[in-house]
Amino acid sequence: MTEKVRITNLHKYFDKLEVLRGIDMTVNEGEVVCLIGASGSGKSTLLRCLNRLEESTSGEIVVDGYEISDKKIDINKVRENIGMVFQQFNLFAHMSVLKNIMFAPVELKKMTKAEAKEKALELLKRVGLEDKADSYPHQLSGGQKQRVAIARALAMNPDIMLFDEPTSALDPEMVGEVLEVMKELAAEGMTMVVVTHEMGFAREVADRVLFMDEGVICEQGTPEEIFLNPQQERTKDFLGKVL
Amino acid sequence: MDFALVLKQSWPMLLEGLKVTLIISLLSIAIGMVIGLISCLMGLSKLKIVKAISAVYVWIIRGTPMIVQAFIVYYGIPIVVQQFNPNFIISEFLAGTITLSLNAGAYLSEIFRSGIQAVDKGQIEASRSLGISSGKTMFKVVLPQAFKITIPSIVNQFIITIKDTSILSVISLAELCNQAKQYSASTYRFFEVYILVGLCYLAIISLLMILSKYVEKKISYDRKSKNN
Repeated sequence: MTEKVRITNLHKYFDKLEVLRGIDMTVNEGEVVCLIGASGSGKSTLLRCLNRLEESTSGEIVVDGYEISDKKIDINKVRENIGMVFQQFNLFAHMSVLKNIMFAPVELKKMTKAEAKEKALELLKRVGLEDKADSYPHQLSGGQKQRVAIARALAMNPDIMLFDEPTSALDPEMVGEVLEVMKELAAEGMTMVVVTHEMGFAREVADRVLFMDEGVICEQGTPEEIFLNPQQERTKDFLGKVL
Repeated sequence: MDFALVLKQSWPMLLEGLKVTLIISLLSIAIGMVIGLISCLMGLSKLKIVKAISAVYVWIIRGTPMIVQAFIVYYGIPIVVQQFNPNFIISEFLAGTITLSLNAGAYLSEIFRSGIQAVDKGQIEASRSLGISSGKTMFKVVLPQAFKITIPSIVNQFIITIKDTSILSVISLAELCNQAKQYSASTYRFFEVYILVGLCYLAIISLLMILSKYVEKKISYDRKSKNN
């Protein structure tokens, strides 16, 4: 199995505060890895280091064969293959749904306008929003926004998808529709790294669950191992609070 | 009081002045927009020296009256340049355009900066995460939204610039106010002619306000309903 992500001894400081304290992890092709843990444990920071939205302080991050922390690489080229979905959706407010999805492929000259439009409509159909192509983000519900955001990330045909708490800003009744899209994506073999508080999703979809605490990966394993038979006290403590 | 007479007598002069006022306003607004955008982007640069140039420019222009700036550009600078090139002269029109453009640019720079800072940072991250460069993100994602947010302030600055052309009468630019001054000095018809001049400004600025409402409506993506 090919390695898509390899992180070695990653440290990250915000000023004097060490938020990542020596992370080692790998993600294989087609694998779905869920990062769980309390707020402030460093999960989102770790995820954001994978496409250099956060600069790491030290350590090695190899994604798709590129050394991300190397200042000399063209990070934009690498990012083309890494899709990202944010907690706050971050749709472009001045563009229609269709334009949001077409934006990157057209701007980066990956597709002609016609090709991008065709692809966008196909993706909208896939996330169940083909009738929203001409709507603007402010006209959509949270769940719809997040599905559009997923379609936008998929428009670049990424090899890896990063999800940063994709359902945390949603009303409870909309969580399901977003998780459904993510499940389908996982079933199609997409490599996914998901920061989530949805333990049900992690249990059902993840190939591997990583429990983070105070900037380190405290424990990792299959969902069964983590949820049914956690070894570490801190893992037990956390799961006891959330389950 | 005889408006009909004054209108008849002064109109050819006022019309000449109105033309100058309109041309120098439009020119200075256009140049000021470019200067303002450049200064604003320089202000957002990571390079300290580039940032400092923009900050000093805005500081000096905002910190001094335009009448002083106009005197420096029209009377002061030629004296300095004439030390090296005795034939150097600057026309009232050029000096006026430079002063007004620099002035509008400084204020617009601040307006643009406030607009850019008001755009949601998450959208910038989303754009960057797709592999879009920071420059393209600025021009395609940030600026269109910043522009929309700041239209009322931008239009306000346009109005100020149009009215500030009257200050350029001090460097003998033959704009609207100066023409009225010439006319009233010889006829003592101060009341009628300045009422007429006031109406001219009011008309121009009213047109601008109507135009800006139209533009605002045209680009308001967040007020378009689902039905149209």
